[in-house]
Amino acid sequence: MSNVLQVFWKQIFGDDDDEERRHLRWRARLGSGDQASATIFVIMRRMRAPLIILIVIFAVSVLGLVLIPGEDPAGLPYHMSFFDAFYFMSYTASTIGFGELPFPFTDNQRMWVTISIYLTVIGWAYAIGSLLTLIQDRAFRNALALQRFSRKVRRLREPFLLFAGYGQTGELLGKSFDLLGQQFVVIDQSADRIDSLDLVAYHADIPGLVGDVRNPHHLAVAGLDHPYCSGVVALTSDDEVNLAVTMAAALLRPELPVIARTVSPSIEDRMHAFGTPSVVNPFDRFGDHLRLALRSPASYQLLTWLESGPGAARPKRGRPPTEGRWVLCGYGRFGKEMAADLRAEGLELTIIEPVARAGQDPDIVVGDGSDPEVMAKVDLESAVGFVAGTDNDTTNLSLIAAARRINPNLFVAARQNHQASAPLFEAMHIDSLLVPTEVVAHEVYAQLSTPLLWRFLQEMPAKGDEWAAELLKRITESCGRRLSDLWKVRMTATEAPALRPWLADGSAVIGDLLRSPDDRSSHLAIVPLLVQRGTESVLTPDDDFVLQPDDEVLLAGRSSERRLLDTTLFDDSASQYVLYDRHVPASWVWRKIAPAKQQTQDAAH
Amino acid sequence: MNLEKVIFGFFVLLAATLNFGFFIGDISVVELHNQYELFGALVVSLIATVLKFGDRTQIGAVHLATSLVADLQLVCAALVWGYAAHVAAEGVTPYAMASVVSLSGGALLANLVSVVLLVIETVSFHRR
Repeated sequence: MSNVLQVFWKQIFGDDDDEERRHLRWRARLGSGDQASATIFVIMRRMRAPLIILIVIFAVSVLGLVLIPGEDPAGLPYHMSFFDAFYFMSYTASTIGFGELPFPFTDNQRMWVTISIYLTVIGWAYAIGSLLTLIQDRAFRNALALQRFSRKVRRLREPFLLFAGYGQTGELLGKSFDLLGQQFVVIDQSADRIDSLDLVAYHADIPGLVGDVRNPHHLAVAGLDHPYCSGVVALTSDDEVNLAVTMAAALLRPELPVIARTVSPSIEDRMHAFGTPSVVNPFDRFGDHLRLALRSPASYQLLTWLESGPGAARPKRGRPPTEGRWVLCGYGRFGKEMAADLRAEGLELTIIEPVARAGQDPDIVVGDGSDPEVMAKVDLESAVGFVAGTDNDTTNLSLIAAARRINPNLFVAARQNHQASAPLFEAMHIDSLLVPTEVVAHEVYAQLSTPLLWRFLQEMPAKGDEWAAELLKRITESCGRRLSDLWKVRMTATEAPALRPWLADGSAVIGDLLRSPDDRSSHLAIVPLLVQRGTESVLTPDDDFVLQPDDEVLLAGRSSERRLLDTTLFDDSASQYVLYDRHVPASWVWRKIAPAKQQTQDAAH
Repeated sequence: MNLEKVIFGFFVLLAATLNFGFFIGDISVVELHNQYELFGALVVSLIATVLKFGDRTQIGAVHLATSLVADLQLVCAALVWGYAAHVAAEGVTPYAMASVVSLSGGALLANLVSVVLLVIETVSFHRR
């Protein structure tokens, strides 16, 4: 069934049938457009009464004016025409009032006009009032917002990510992706969060919808069924909701990559029951990171730097004590993950937990961490590290202050639960700070920005501390203390057309490629991080590493250097100069003449 | 009996009858076409249009479309008449009158379609 307005609607929302053919697995019909149009119909119905009243009042007044006889200046009887009467009523009803036209009225006419003025003013007030009420009507505004949002999403013609949930994590992640030029679409339960999209100055126009993330219809409107949707990120603070999003994405678009945040291992298991989503557990990741920091501080520094996204300043290298006893406050989900990780690193551990549970570890000291007696019992003087891991920021801060008073040399790790407490934690100079939102944002960024970066970060820890320190030095030398660009170059005919013959040679060493097209004796300040060939990958290839066609290379460097490298990749004359020190003319005509010239030059030599 | 249907049918039919009344008679003779009848036809047609707002069925959509056509034709007829009477130098000529009446004839056709639709709707109405 379809009517004229629905056809109109379909054109606004795009043709759903077409999409159905494109995705054969897409069986559920998500009639989101119908919902929006239903609201418009209700509103049209509601305007019926005011409009009819207005028409009737106008008709009666105009008819009255035409029927009532008037007088022209000569005193002869005169009847207003419909045109005169309609003109008079139009300016009178809208309170403009040009006076009595075309001739001064008789008393008879004035009586009628008095009545009709009151009638028309009431009619207008009623109609305009109804219209204004409708415009302010929440349902109507929602319908309009939904329609606008849908249209924006349907018109996207570049790959985009779907953010289900837009909290602190979403915002951090959004900023990083926006710098990379990656489009995304946001859906969140809270109108405040969607409004905040306008406050962050994104380069791209980011469509945002206030809607229930668990509702597959809303996800579909937000582009889950869009052919250009390239991934779904479930970032709400509610694990159940994230599970629902993971389920919806896995069932409706099984081929899409899904990344979901959760802090609960049981939800993580349930998520894995649906396809292969990447699950990010901030507590688990922080524990892993701390272990890496214990084993290899430079690797950890490199990891956090590369994960932080474009323009991130180089983090300081912490030196967590690898021997000695740690004290851990708060033994919830986070505490348990931390305890397991620290013990796995062979560290001695004392745990403070306010609530006693049956059958728990004998190492656990039961009591309130802020109680001086409890603090005395855990013997902080002889400890080397302290973790404040409760889910209350005030408690964590006071625990750190108390612990530092007893032993100022402690290595302190803390968990920051709310964005608002960030300045306080910063003022405390925490050695290692867990901000779950940031951990998730960085992790998702690393996984989605380019697959090569993820690969690099997975394989990097195995290379050891010295290697990481050396690489950090190289990156700092060429890019400075702020990470500028991380990008990927594929050695294919489309991305590096000028390099095809050189790559086919078999002697294409990466060191030659990274010479400057302005002066080939100097090198571009670009660090190759990883070369991927098929399923194999080589980390930080040397200058004499031989490239092959279709290799993918992950590079780090400033964007100015990146543009120079792009010239080499695309411009034949630049690539000839950079690779072989040959001067080849850039234009076609000169190139046709060049071989003759070259030969004469060679003969002269 | 559904009062909404009564009012709806009344206005649709009244729009058609008034229109017919105005249209009938020699097309170019001013005296045979009453201006009040055109005014009435226009007002009733506008009300009928608003009554058709917000009906989501297929037949409702066609109703709305025919009504909009009738409105358009009648408004044009009124404009032509107004122009001839007030603006044009030669006044309401038989030529101008023929335009007005033929425009209202077009509206009559649309109104007849409306009536036919109304009849179809009534015939195919089954109380479930």
